[in-house]
Amino acid sequence: MATQTLPAEFADLEPFIDWALATEPERTRKRLASSMEDIQAFYDCMSTRVEAAMAYLNAFSLDALPPEAGRLFHLSLSLMEVANAVEMFQNPSVIKGFDVKRFAPVEDV
Amino acid sequence: MRTVIADKRWAEKYPEVGTGPVLAEPLISQEHFELEREKIFRRTWLNIGRVEEIQNPGDYIAKDLTMCRASVLIIRGKDGEVRGFHNVCSHRGNKLVWDEKGTCKGTLTCGFHAWAYNTKGKLTWVPDEDNFFDLPKCDLGLTPIHTEVFEGFIFIHLAERPPESLREYLGGVADQLEGGGFGELALTARYKVDEHANWKIALDAQNELYHLPFQHRRTIPEFCVLKDGQFTRLLDVRLFNHHSVYSSDPHEGRVGPATEKLAAQFSVAETEHRLPRIGSFDFYTIFPNMALLLFRGVSHDFYMTYNFWPQAVDRTDWDIKIYFRPAENAGQRVGQEYFKCLLRDLLQEDATAHEQIHIGLASRAKKELYFQDEEMQIRYFHTVLERFYAEA
Repeated sequence: MATQTLPAEFADLEPFIDWALATEPERTRKRLASSMEDIQAFYDCMSTRVEAAMAYLNAFSLDALPPEAGRLFHLSLSLMEVANAVEMFQNPSVIKGFDVKRFAPVEDV
Repeated sequence: MRTVIADKRWAEKYPEVGTGPVLAEPLISQEHFELEREKIFRRTWLNIGRVEEIQNPGDYIAKDLTMCRASVLIIRGKDGEVRGFHNVCSHRGNKLVWDEKGTCKGTLTCGFHAWAYNTKGKLTWVPDEDNFFDLPKCDLGLTPIHTEVFEGFIFIHLAERPPESLREYLGGVADQLEGGGFGELALTARYKVDEHANWKIALDAQNELYHLPFQHRRTIPEFCVLKDGQFTRLLDVRLFNHHSVYSSDPHEGRVGPATEKLAAQFSVAETEHRLPRIGSFDFYTIFPNMALLLFRGVSHDFYMTYNFWPQAVDRTDWDIKIYFRPAENAGQRVGQEYFKCLLRDLLQEDATAHEQIHIGLASRAKKELYFQDEEMQIRYFHTVLERFYAEA
């Protein structure tokens, strides 16, 4: 059995643990590097679990999430990252989108 | 307040702005770019940032303003005052601070020969001072720049004597936004876009909603009230001395994507916080190169700023900042992430278009542009430009 990285009640999300990324640039890179099939699979599963995830996470202080809860939080942020790919573009990147290297998030805001 | 679905309301409200075609040449010509350098960017109040970026004494931000051939240093003094200076050492003219932001214990030291200045810009230390010849040290502080703050927004003016105070310059915009509580929100995301387009092409393209059902057909086609479900109808347009605002209400019966509904549900907070909006979305053009966007949020409103910094006639740094009220829990933070990603993705659609428009206009195939009534505020922006071009 693989190491448990998420809270026990969210063990069903373990196959998507690669999406537990802490920063926006990491999440965007993952979205752009993934196939639409992989994005869809993550989206389909995570969409059905995100409400439960929020109910779970809202019990903690946002600044003091235990590591397992933190990963669940990052999975939830990744759902927000990929939502447009599924719901608007049916494509990993923005259709007729800008060169992302010239549209750079400033990380240290 | 409900949006009235009627035609040509804004030309009726502001007949002096006219209805004829507008010249395309100022959007692409080097000549106009040079006029803007001298007659606009050195003669108007320019937004550099917000006070939260320099919260504590000794905090500073620095920015090279290519268009103004200047580098600006904004620093919070030990006395708590916000001051602006030319970011230039008095010894040999080196740029004093090279980072875009930082903090100091009370002294900024030039990297070239270690001349040092305090947070009020006074020259306090010159290495090997005795070996200079009658150095007038008291007169060799940093060169001040007129710096004023409105509701936390820091502006500078490069003229020796600005013709009006920042408050006077903002006029009706300030009346509308005064006491807005902007300081209760925090910079949450920032994007720097390096665009191969004229700064006015980029700004004009943002300064209307007519394009939403078309250019943003995949992302936000039904963001605002639509006539016959097809064409945007603004709630209001207001023109000020140099500035403008347009406002919209949401399209009734809009069916948003599933994740947006979840994000909205997660964004509910116990207490509300509202900005001084006119509609559910307001877009201010603060002449010359700033936009301020106010959004109705579920419980907490949010806002964005754009600063379009011209680098060359066909090159612009578009600085995008998104401010949310600090999230109280994971749900609110996840909700913010959704709206942030949506804004980012649809602005990527826009950024692509800005460059395509520049290529199109630079061909000079089209000499004139035709604006409809919903684009009145762009027409007005061009009349303000003309007014500045014509100044002595």
